[in-house]
Amino acid sequence: MKRYIEEFSCTNKHDDYYKKLVNELEGINGRLHIFNNINREINYGFPFSVKDNICVKGVESTASSKTLEGYLPPFDATAVERLKSKGFGFLGKANMDEFGFGTFGINCANPVRNPFDETRVAGGSSSGSAAAVSILKYHTAIAESTGGSISCPSSFCGVVGFTPTYGLVSRYGLIDYANSLDKIGIISRSASDIRYVFDIIKGRDKYDTTCVDNKVSDERKSKLIIINQLMKNVDEEILSRFDRFISKLQNSGYKVEHVDIPFIDKAIPAYYIISMAEASTNLAKYTGFKYGHKVNDFSLGYNEFFTEARDVFGIEAKRRLVLGTYVRSASVKSKYYEKALRLRHMLIDSFKDALNDGFIISPTMPILPPKLDEAKDLDPVKTYSIDSITVPPNLCGLPHISFPYDYVNGLPLGAQLITNHFNDYAILDFAERWEDEFEYKFKYNLGSL
Amino acid sequence: MEDKDFDRLLKTCRLRLSEEDNKKIKSDIDNILEYFNTIESVECSKYSPSYQAIDIPSNKRSDNVEPFPNTDQILKNSKIYRFYVVGPKI
Repeated sequence: MKRYIEEFSCTNKHDDYYKKLVNELEGINGRLHIFNNINREINYGFPFSVKDNICVKGVESTASSKTLEGYLPPFDATAVERLKSKGFGFLGKANMDEFGFGTFGINCANPVRNPFDETRVAGGSSSGSAAAVSILKYHTAIAESTGGSISCPSSFCGVVGFTPTYGLVSRYGLIDYANSLDKIGIISRSASDIRYVFDIIKGRDKYDTTCVDNKVSDERKSKLIIINQLMKNVDEEILSRFDRFISKLQNSGYKVEHVDIPFIDKAIPAYYIISMAEASTNLAKYTGFKYGHKVNDFSLGYNEFFTEARDVFGIEAKRRLVLGTYVRSASVKSKYYEKALRLRHMLIDSFKDALNDGFIISPTMPILPPKLDEAKDLDPVKTYSIDSITVPPNLCGLPHISFPYDYVNGLPLGAQLITNHFNDYAILDFAERWEDEFEYKFKYNLGSL
Repeated sequence: MEDKDFDRLLKTCRLRLSEEDNKKIKSDIDNILEYFNTIESVECSKYSPSYQAIDIPSNKRSDNVEPFPNTDQILKNSKIYRFYVVGPKI
């Protein structure tokens, strides 16, 4: 990537290249809905896109919500600012599920279509970010994960998605979903590109008090751990391809061990309780007069005014607002919210035990990307259950990476690798070694030099 | 959830739902709460609540006033009267 960053910062021929790229992107965007907006101003830098819930100075940032239409942040998010200062050029804002509320990228005005099969979803909630990486040859995406929003779309779109340890990348400039779970991460076409970007954006930031400066290690593990309960609902075809993949890894020297974490399936309800509780407080800031959508009738009373302001939320946002408010209420708080927080603590301890001498590996998603109409027909509990593999590491703030390991009927399959807190480089090393022997496929290579 | 409890909850959330959304969300909520109730079967009382997934040292900055250089840009996102943001009546 470093070589290309230097090449992209040269002004020679760049104007024509960028104009052509933007024209091509605008053409394909009409069909795939990857970007909420594309930067037409010529940038001399390696192209990077930004998920629409991360602020870019002077560029409309909506988190794909009508309530933020027209909002122009007066500042760059820390991750964006750091990339801009290191030879990267802002390309556009990537589409997503409203505020990150979704697994399939369908909770927005125009759902992103999967570049491998346009009748299917791209995954969520960083749908546009993963699809952008899938179609662009030279590009990296700054995305965000709360419960699997980087891994899921990366798996469905056949790209590499990295979610760092909670707290390693500043959340300053992120439009919050759930503060104790949100992590800014990176989606690219290779683990080495991700490492390069990660080294730029990680590290202490005075604007985010939860951002830490811990040393990141690269402790290599010789054992691969498969948690039996995570494999329970995996589609049979995916399971058989995954077994083949594991055999390849065994042949290259890894030992494989199956372990049980019997209550790991409870990570999903625990995650949704915590995330909805936090989301319901975060959504309180959309008041209808400070930024974004405006209520213009100032004759309304206080309650009526805010009720009017909240009319523009999508149905999933309303559902989470109601549930999040309920689980925080005094009469049930200990039954739901506090219990979920204790369960998270117990799960972190169980993961630490399991991760002592190995990486945890699994397919990233239990199903192939569904058709758009099928995804819309799923009821909420079924949809939430599909996050069964991506939620546990997110709930526990553990670093994880999703990378392609096979293709079935022209669709990519992703594997997810998890390691201990702050051992982030080790999973990047693992994916880089995998990339030495396995070539990823892409349907589009826009912006080739 | 009883209708009256659901209506009270909507009021707390400052939400107004169409008849269709009201029916849908109410029925979804009953199913989702049933799903949430499954955590009751896990015994984890000896664990303290984890408000964060990692240990975060106290990073609080000192309480000094710092000027923000771009106040005009912030105000551009709202309706303003002179240099005040116009808000609803309280």
